[in-house]
Amino acid sequence: MFASSWLILLFPLLGFIGLSWYGNRISRNLVGLVGCGTIGASFFMTLVTLSNLLFLPPEERVGHVQTLYQWVSAGSFKLDVAILVDPLSVFMFLIVTGVGFVIHVYSVGYMHDDPEYSRFFAYLNLFIFSMLVLVAAADFFFLIVGWALVGLASYLLIGFWREKTSAVLAARKAFVMNVIGDVGMVIAALVIFETFGTLNFADVFASAPGMFRPNDDSMLLITLLLLVGAFAKSAQLPLHTWLPDAMEGPTPVSALIHAATMVTAGVYLVARCHVLYELAPYTMYLIAGVGIITAIFAGSMAMFQYDIKRVIAYSTMSQLGYMFLAMGIGVYSLGMFHLMTHAFFKALLFMAAGSVIHSLDGEQDLRKMGGLQSVMPLTHATFLIGALALAGIPLTSGYFSKEAIILSSYHADMGNIVFWAIAVLTAGMTAFYISRVYLFTFFGRLRSPAAHPHESPMIMIIPLLVLAVLALLGGVLGPWVDSFLAPVFGHVAYHPHDNALESIALVVGIGGIATAGLLYMVSKERLDLFKEALAPLYDLLFHKYYVDEIYDYLIVRPTKAIGTFLEQKAEREGIDFTVDQVGLQIKEVSHGISLWQSGKVRSYALNMIVGVVTILLFVVFM
Amino acid sequence: MGQEFVLLVSASIFCVGTVGFIIRKNPLIMFMSIELMLNSVNFLLVAYSSFLNSLDGQIFALFIITVAAAEVVVGLAIILTIFRTRHEMDVDHIDVLKG
Repeated sequence: MFASSWLILLFPLLGFIGLSWYGNRISRNLVGLVGCGTIGASFFMTLVTLSNLLFLPPEERVGHVQTLYQWVSAGSFKLDVAILVDPLSVFMFLIVTGVGFVIHVYSVGYMHDDPEYSRFFAYLNLFIFSMLVLVAAADFFFLIVGWALVGLASYLLIGFWREKTSAVLAARKAFVMNVIGDVGMVIAALVIFETFGTLNFADVFASAPGMFRPNDDSMLLITLLLLVGAFAKSAQLPLHTWLPDAMEGPTPVSALIHAATMVTAGVYLVARCHVLYELAPYTMYLIAGVGIITAIFAGSMAMFQYDIKRVIAYSTMSQLGYMFLAMGIGVYSLGMFHLMTHAFFKALLFMAAGSVIHSLDGEQDLRKMGGLQSVMPLTHATFLIGALALAGIPLTSGYFSKEAIILSSYHADMGNIVFWAIAVLTAGMTAFYISRVYLFTFFGRLRSPAAHPHESPMIMIIPLLVLAVLALLGGVLGPWVDSFLAPVFGHVAYHPHDNALESIALVVGIGGIATAGLLYMVSKERLDLFKEALAPLYDLLFHKYYVDEIYDYLIVRPTKAIGTFLEQKAEREGIDFTVDQVGLQIKEVSHGISLWQSGKVRSYALNMIVGVVTILLFVVFM
Repeated sequence: MGQEFVLLVSASIFCVGTVGFIIRKNPLIMFMSIELMLNSVNFLLVAYSSFLNSLDGQIFALFIITVAAAEVVVGLAIILTIFRTRHEMDVDHIDVLKG
């Protein structure tokens, strides 16, 4: 009954192939129509699949594997080209195609003047296809295929403006970081095959609980290796440095890949493999720990950046930290719920920021913005909604998902007061930095006199409005997400209620907003005083804890030095010299031998005769 | 005619051919020396054919003469071409394949 779900993957693939081959020969309007239409069709097929799924009773919704054909059959090893239809994958389909469709429509307006319009849409379709392969995979093999394809699409899109050196370097950095994760994933898959004899999700998850006790070595090994991939893709410490740089790509790319979809792949991976992670509680603690540390680390870095997109990028890292925290303490459906609301409000923030950047002709520096409230009323309103949702103001979607995670970080079985305290502190920082960006952008007066800001065209505003509605009202979906995903996770997430803790979190959040208001709206002098008082801390945060510099000193420079040494000494004076000498010596020797060949026929004849006579004498007399 | 005589004559002709091949520089003469060597063997074959009352040797000699004729055709053509291009016939100067 899910045979038609193949069409979800087919449409974006057709769009990619069609736009790559014919993109330059058809009109721009048609390119936009094909680019958006394929994703729209894919979204429609997702809705059809969803309704099919909802017709089944909850306990029958899991484990539908649609096999297209058998691809590999070698002994006991079998590999089917198949997709997995269950609540978790359909949930991800909905986010990827739904938010993806909105962002495609927005891109029609945003990229309108770009000369390589069709290439952009071809890449976007490739990305959606790759992400769907990742999510739809029914075994670790196709999971890795999708994983790597997503990395490729991200590389192509970050470096889309290939004439910009910084964009190309950022794309390369993202690719290298992601490949580190891919290697972890591949090794994990090999270990899984060695342990279980199969790569199939269903078989692995079914046999794992019977084969291993919690914290067995091989469980820890597999989960940790999978985690390398998850952390690299989701920009968690210490593999996070690529995400802020990835903002070099066009803004729709940041919204689609680096906020709503690709970076959530790591969260999805943990959710998909939760059976394995439950057998490795140590890894769960690690996930929660890394998640919460990334949350506060990225949140604090976001506080004093001046690039509007970088602030939102650090914010994404921070929110992903919350999702990993939720995964680590075992409240999976809350993590997935936050993934969904985050996709709404973060894509909204990115696209509203893109609308601002678009109207200021590519200006991304907060210090040159300001006073756009009256010029861009719709962008202002939608950004405000996104900011409120991110800050976790009650009744917005972000409030429901984030508050639930923060409460669970104390009340869940694996939660504790430290997780809770850091999570609340991070929420305060979040409220502070997003208010700061909001005030910088829309209040005061415009600080770049040359610019002529204008409201963006309707094709960009309508997607913003759609996402604004979702970001505002998405919170009501919370209970539905819980019950919809319950068959996958085996239990309904526990919803604690604790008025005291909730009020503390709320007060901290409002305190963050108030601090930003006091510092950036009321008086300039107070800001300078504040900066001087906290100069060392400010420097540390402004320079992003010097992580890039540390990596530069610890990894990049030694690697370059080793490379130079090997190139100069080992290669030129070692390998090259040896090879050259072998050749030269052989040439010398053969030159000596070649002197025997005098070219004189008579001397050859004499030599022959002497030789024959010698042999004859030898035969006769010996 | 004893066998020793036949062997002696054949060996003498062969030696004359060999020495001629080595000491002369004119390719035509060297060719003739090669023919001498070949024919010394032919002489031996024919003589032994009559000693042994068998026709094999004579047939063999006929074959050798045929092959030698063909060889002479090729060789003379080469010599002629060399003379046309270089305008001299000294084999010691024809050493293009020197190492």
